[in-house]
Amino acid sequence: MPAFLSPLFLIGAAAAAIPIAIHLFYRRTEPVIDFAAMRYLRRAPVEHSRRRRLRELVLLALRAGALVLLALAFARPYIADPVAARSGDATLVMVDTSASLSAPGRFEAARERARRAIEDAPATHAVGLATFAQALDVVTPVSQDRAGALAALAQIKPGAGATRYRAALQGAADALDGRSGRIVVITDLQQSGWDAASDAGIPESIAVAVEDIGAPETNLGVTSLRVDGAEAVAVVQNFSARPATDQVIFAIDAQRVGAVPVALAAGANVEARVPLVNTASGGLSASIGDRDGYSADNARYAVLDAADAISVLAVTPTGHPSEALYLERALTIAEGTRGFRFRSLGGAGFTAIEPGTLDQVGVIAMLSTRAVAQRGRERLAEFVRGGGGLLVAAGPDVDAAILKDALAGLVETSWEARPAQTLTFAPDDSRHPVFRVFGGAGTLANVGFSRAVRMTAPASASVIARYSDGSPALVEERTTGGRVLVFGSDLNYRGNDFPLQPGFVPFIHEAIRYLASQRTSRTEYLVGELQAATVPGVITLPAPASRRIAVNVDPRESDPGRMTPDTFQAGISRLNAAAARDEETAAKEREDGQFLWRYGLLLMVVSLAAEGVLGRRLG
Amino acid sequence: MTAGARSLGFARDRPSELRFLDPAVLARLGTLELKARAVVEGLLSGLHRSPFKGFSVEFAEYRQYLPGDDLSAIDWKVYARTDRHYVKKFEEETNVDCYLLLDISASMGYGSRGVTKLEYGGLLAASLAFLMNRQRDAVALTTFDDAIVTMVPPSARPSHLRSILVTLDRTTLGHRTDVSKPLHVLADGISKRGLVVFISDLLDEPGRVIDGLRHFRFRGSEVIVFHLMDPAELTFPFDRASRFRDLELGDEVMAVPSVVRQDYLDAVNGAIDRYKQELGSEGIDYRLVDTSTPLEFALISYLSTRGRRR
Repeated sequence: MPAFLSPLFLIGAAAAAIPIAIHLFYRRTEPVIDFAAMRYLRRAPVEHSRRRRLRELVLLALRAGALVLLALAFARPYIADPVAARSGDATLVMVDTSASLSAPGRFEAARERARRAIEDAPATHAVGLATFAQALDVVTPVSQDRAGALAALAQIKPGAGATRYRAALQGAADALDGRSGRIVVITDLQQSGWDAASDAGIPESIAVAVEDIGAPETNLGVTSLRVDGAEAVAVVQNFSARPATDQVIFAIDAQRVGAVPVALAAGANVEARVPLVNTASGGLSASIGDRDGYSADNARYAVLDAADAISVLAVTPTGHPSEALYLERALTIAEGTRGFRFRSLGGAGFTAIEPGTLDQVGVIAMLSTRAVAQRGRERLAEFVRGGGGLLVAAGPDVDAAILKDALAGLVETSWEARPAQTLTFAPDDSRHPVFRVFGGAGTLANVGFSRAVRMTAPASASVIARYSDGSPALVEERTTGGRVLVFGSDLNYRGNDFPLQPGFVPFIHEAIRYLASQRTSRTEYLVGELQAATVPGVITLPAPASRRIAVNVDPRESDPGRMTPDTFQAGISRLNAAAARDEETAAKEREDGQFLWRYGLLLMVVSLAAEGVLGRRLG
Repeated sequence: MTAGARSLGFARDRPSELRFLDPAVLARLGTLELKARAVVEGLLSGLHRSPFKGFSVEFAEYRQYLPGDDLSAIDWKVYARTDRHYVKKFEEETNVDCYLLLDISASMGYGSRGVTKLEYGGLLAASLAFLMNRQRDAVALTTFDDAIVTMVPPSARPSHLRSILVTLDRTTLGHRTDVSKPLHVLADGISKRGLVVFISDLLDEPGRVIDGLRHFRFRGSEVIVFHLMDPAELTFPFDRASRFRDLELGDEVMAVPSVVRQDYLDAVNGAIDRYKQELGSEGIDYRLVDTSTPLEFALISYLSTRGRRR
């Protein structure tokens, strides 16, 4: 369905009346002469009125069309989602499967409410079933198959995710796909479920009904587990209004290492500590036996493994190993916990990389910008904003303009090629962590550069090494995210002999460690934060990370504090108010993605060109 | 201008038929003699010479009998007086049947200077009719467009002139030009050789026009063509881009005069040259008449030419 971002510009289409008026005016003033000797006149290059009239009409249409197209282009047209195409009312039943539903009897109550909601849905409604925690998961799409929805309902189970109502409601609105009807939310109305950080909106045509299944009166939860020196420390909190006692059991890799009884006053929390003897690695857990509250928060996990090797991803033109040969060799020479995990990708491969993959990468070495498409550039910017380290080697395969475009607001250093000349380089600041290991310029003074770019560093950046002509050789950008180093030459033995010099390996090691230090490798994640983190426990991430992490329930989920259905509905109202803004934003994004105005302008140019040709023929 | 409804309507203050008889024109014409180029057979004696000597009543001369002469032509009285055989010779004076053919198609309704081609052609036909009637020639009038519209049979009676003038006066514009068909019909209908005066703007396919006129020549008639053209048709004096509407078909063409003028004039002159050449080769007199020139000039120059060629 066509729509316009700036429909007021459509008023400009009225300008199409101008050529029509001019046409009519000149048409009236053109005299008609009765003539007899037409057989002789027809032999001259005259134009028959019918044909001319047709041409004039075409000309008129082209002129008017050009003006209309101009107005259309300014009105920023786009094809809206075919919401209107959807018809029929629907009922979507959303069942809360967050960790707070793990209290005894709660999920059964939710299931029963859901069954009733499905059965009681108006006969004219299609029915769908979904579960939600931090996001909506459609179990059975909206359809007339109620038996299928009931059968699927029997299979759902409570999870360990955190409640996020806004995201879930947004997903429900999407699942209804433009239909009107209602959403039945079956939940414990947990107060912490309203996440102010997310925004969502549901159409006015969808009513929201809330089925409150209640919450347990008491809950004890392990809200924290950490290693404090040689001790494991667990924090247990009492979320009820009466005192409680329990026992915290510590285990490493399922081997019990200690138990600590705890007594908690109403609303209080206590720490339980056990010593860790000769334990440098393993999966640590602390659990309690709270039977009345949420079972999902009765255990918490931590990883005792030492700091992991830094993961380095090199972006090269094609991903061929030879394109980052020296970098790879320099990194793989290190072993153990001081080692590096190296991987290289071509520009196209980097563009196609899965969103979560870069979470496990500490440093990206940008050796090429070839074939790095827009999506890849966005990923790179997200990576740096997210604290990732970036090493840019300004060799022949790296385009400064692309990098500047990709990292706008993060990296301002630019460079340009310059004639080949023999240069050396030396640290500008020997105390900088990258050069501290060298203790002076001696080792690096032997590095010869035949090709180097002339870099221009912004005032906000630091020049930490310079070429022998005084121009910057290594620039550190200060960003709000990760660290960025821009090296003014190649790192693969093309513009210098650095890779063959003894200083190359320590330089690379220190630079990578410096860049990665901003992004400490997280060992603890919440359920749902990573694709692999679906249940609490200690898991091993898939390659290339290949390290163990602890997955825990969001501590906010342990709080059984509840809101009233009215408060919930008030939240829905706020969503409704935000819907118009969201719709506007979505429309703008859609229009931005479609660029129909460009086609409008192109057609206008074509119309004007055709008008010019035709007008010239008419004389 | 509504071409189809326009009448010749020459006079309003006196009998309309007298309007044709412009005294000045007739005075000049009266000093000349219209003589047919070819002598045709006729009924009445007059100024025209007959090719068939011996069959008329007016004595011409005697000639000595020669073997082969018709014995009935021998004047026996002369033989009685002179004892010689003489043959009596006669010069027969005849009148011709003069057929005035006037094109009244819609295109004849065009006139850029007050007088249309039809008005001009009607006056020309009337003048000729008067002149011929005065010479005792039998005059016929036929008007046509794409078919014969009116036909006044030939007659030499003085009162016949009035019929012709009345017919001319009542003539209105017809439809589109198609001279071929009426010409062939008329040529087939003329039983005696005579003089055919064809007055038209010749806005038809020249080949068809010439074929039609050739038919008259084939039947032995003398043909005179008055090709009437308005001065605007001869010079195309327009200056601004206009839509030209066909008087006969009603369709329009858009033209910028400065652009099309030369092509137009080439086409007009080409047609005129073709008529001159092809009609001349058929022994047909062709006369281009600019309707802005006085009618007297057209008649006098034509009759002068005829006189010189006699």
